[in-house]
Amino acid sequence: MSAHDPAVTAALRAVARDAGVTARIHATRLAGPPGTVALDDTEPVAIASLYKLPLALVWADLVTAGRLAADAPVRLPVSSRMPGPTGVAMLLDDVVLTARDVVRLMLAVSDNACGDALLALVGRERAHERLGELGLPATLVRQGSADETRALLRDTGTTTWAGAQRALADPDHAAETSQYDPALASAATAAELGQVLRLLWSCRGPAYDLVRDALAHQAWRHRVGSGFPHDDVVLHGKTGTLGRLRHEAAVVGFPHEHPVGVVVLTWAARPERHLPGVDAAVGELARLATGPLRMPDDEAG
Amino acid sequence: MDLLKHLGFFKAVADVRHFGNAAADLGMTQPPLSQGIRRLERHLGVRLFDRDARGVRITAAGRRLLPAARDLLDAADDLVSTARDLALPEQVRLGIAADLEDGVPHLLRALTAEAQARTAPPPPTSSAEPVETSRAARTSVAPTVAGSVELVDLLRDGLLDVAVVRHPGVLDGLTAGPVLVVPTRLVQAPLVPADVRLPVAVPPRHHQPPAHDQLVDALRRAGHSGDVVEARDTAQRQALVAAGLAAGLLPAFPDASGTSGAAPNGPAGPPLRLRVALPLAAQRRPEIDHEAVAEAIRAALSPASDPAPDPTSDPARRPPRGDAG
Repeated sequence: MSAHDPAVTAALRAVARDAGVTARIHATRLAGPPGTVALDDTEPVAIASLYKLPLALVWADLVTAGRLAADAPVRLPVSSRMPGPTGVAMLLDDVVLTARDVVRLMLAVSDNACGDALLALVGRERAHERLGELGLPATLVRQGSADETRALLRDTGTTTWAGAQRALADPDHAAETSQYDPALASAATAAELGQVLRLLWSCRGPAYDLVRDALAHQAWRHRVGSGFPHDDVVLHGKTGTLGRLRHEAAVVGFPHEHPVGVVVLTWAARPERHLPGVDAAVGELARLATGPLRMPDDEAG
Repeated sequence: MDLLKHLGFFKAVADVRHFGNAAADLGMTQPPLSQGIRRLERHLGVRLFDRDARGVRITAAGRRLLPAARDLLDAADDLVSTARDLALPEQVRLGIAADLEDGVPHLLRALTAEAQARTAPPPPTSSAEPVETSRAARTSVAPTVAGSVELVDLLRDGLLDVAVVRHPGVLDGLTAGPVLVVPTRLVQAPLVPADVRLPVAVPPRHHQPPAHDQLVDALRRAGHSGDVVEARDTAQRQALVAAGLAAGLLPAFPDASGTSGAAPNGPAGPPLRLRVALPLAAQRRPEIDHEAVAEAIRAALSPASDPAPDPTSDPARRPPRGDAG
């Protein structure tokens, strides 16, 4: 861990204040000499769909250990799926995928049906046991997306996913939900999610390659990506979004530099669903946190 | 001798290097000041000033003693002001968002009226708790009008008891009641043609960035350009409106009769959203009844508030919706 530069921390706080968010940040060099930039990164936070990232790590771990098969077929019958905004969760018919394609859809488009299926495959107990062994005691996959949606409907008194989103976005009521509470929802700290990225980038094997490749296919580049509008910078990322929560864990790869993992977890004061200014602030925070950690790798030049 | 008083003389002369001017600053004449300095010099056993034809110069010894003298005087000031705070424990330190415009006097009048209403003997049918009444009867308000971000910081630092802040904003480490939605009117000076849509005079964005951004988005949603003029205080905003350079966004608070009678003319603007923010329960001053003050503020600012509150439908009895942690 490098010493924290107060000027960087102050700049991060200023951007967060200007955007009207509370931010927890952890950026860390994933190769070369260790280096970290942090802002309140040991504070537990409800992580929404970011639970899919540690879940993918555990899955890769189990596949590498020979306890799960990457190409095992996974049935996703429409009757057992909770409708969601993307991927298989928005389809109309029964679907069968291999486990690794479930992982790809879960990470690339944050498919809720695939997240639930993978959690069922891995098992919650097994996930927590493995995360504990990996030194991630505060990373808690308490539930999948279906349970998250059910809790949202219950808390907002609505019957559909879209209705729940509207209730959370009402500017005239500060709607609360258990899904904002790290004691009730899936939770982690920015520091531990940084450690998840470090593990994913340091472990060798086809299952880890598969997870990293899926992260490179993330369909969105409006958050962390907005801070790096450069076509030659490779981004791997996973967002987590729910109401006021706008998170992303990403790896920023400048050519001929060590990759930098950056986790930005935000809670917005504004409840609206579409806040491009806040998404852009996540990118700005990621850029500010990553900047001091950029370093040419040994093979450069 | 009164050491603090004489150190005050010492500091005054050291500051201006002139007995006459120092005496004027102290509101006294020169002879007693000169005598006072001589008495202090005798008491301390050192010479503090050299006096000659060119004026007054502080001696090396005086220069060495001056910082300690200043520290003592500052400490004495702190002690007095702390004592003053302690002597008024029931005074509610109330923060008011600068966005309330003309609503500030309205709010304070309503709070005073509320306190007076509680002082009045309860009607025989009511079973008001006597403890509650006597505490509220002594309520007086020390108001601070500032930007919401600043008010939130003051609340968190324990320098305010209650604050009306603009919503939405970051409230980490505080609790807050329901969102109060106050309708607004967009008003322009009479000389401006009605079809000209001027930029809107608003408080500086840094007062509460998320609320500012939400307002701009709402103006654009309604077909306005979203152009705004940031002006630091109500008088400046009123001046811009009067000069025909900007439109005003005026909240229509309920007047004394409980109706929105004081509403200015003009098309409806985006509502002003407010919340009453309080410190976390463990950090509240026990001598203040925070919830009662918060409820009185809510009643004064809610357009739906009843002119004569019916005890059976007292909003204080209802669980607050969305008590954010």
